[in-house]
Amino acid sequence: MTRFVAFSAALVLVAGAAFAHHGWGSYDAAHPVTVVGPIVTSKFENPHATITVKGADKTWTVTLAPTSRMSSRGATEKVIAVGQNVSAYGYPSTVEKDEMRAERITVDGKTFELR
Amino acid sequence: MTHEAPAIFVALEQSGFATAIRQSPWLYPAANVGHIVSLVFFVGAVAVMDVRLLGGLAMTAPGPLLSRARGFAVAALVGMAVTGFVLFSAEASHLAVNPVFQLKAALVGAGLVNVALYEFMARREVAKLPPGAIMPARARIAGLLSLVIWVAVAACGRSIAYF
Repeated sequence: MTRFVAFSAALVLVAGAAFAHHGWGSYDAAHPVTVVGPIVTSKFENPHATITVKGADKTWTVTLAPTSRMSSRGATEKVIAVGQNVSAYGYPSTVEKDEMRAERITVDGKTFELR
Repeated sequence: MTHEAPAIFVALEQSGFATAIRQSPWLYPAANVGHIVSLVFFVGAVAVMDVRLLGGLAMTAPGPLLSRARGFAVAALVGMAVTGFVLFSAEASHLAVNPVFQLKAALVGAGLVNVALYEFMARREVAKLPPGAIMPARARIAGLLSLVIWVAVAACGRSIAYF
């Protein structure tokens, strides 16, 4: 039983590291967009961090990565804080209006890959 | 989303409980893994029961085998319900209007109705059968429906994020 519990715990850790929540299926990869502007709201939350960005044309909701991946890539809560200027390259949602999923973001000249 | 979720789901998503799930670095991923681990145990136990009802594993008496597997299935179902509620709460207003989630919820309902019908209409008769006996048709139908419904539930679950 002890061995079983230890094995299960190990499995949960390994699987947890490999787990990604969303597919990219509901985003239009054929029409990538780059949204540049100040961050208006910022949520460093699971299943994905999200920011809203005041772009040139409209305010976009930009879906980022799960918080653990954001942190491990260096895109911490401070990096995506309200007021920071961001450039987000990604794909517009085919489901939600004015939402896009970022492939990568650039803040202060540093680029963070989010896939 | 193209249309608004009912207020109860918006309230759930905005609750302190759901906010805590979103803000924890590990709760959501842990529930995600727990949901799948529970699913593995559930489908494993259910497959043993369904195969027996369909006439496989016929060298064993159905009564003890089914009752043993049922224990695993019920425990795993509870695990899925708890972890599923955690996952659902974090994004309740989006999931409630997601067509694949709605299909999944309906299929879970159908699966539970199938269980209830079997329990009331066939379980006692099946439990008395000796090894190798022919299964009554209603037990075989319940086994086939169960297998199809629960696999479809799992497929829907994995597909929610893509719609």
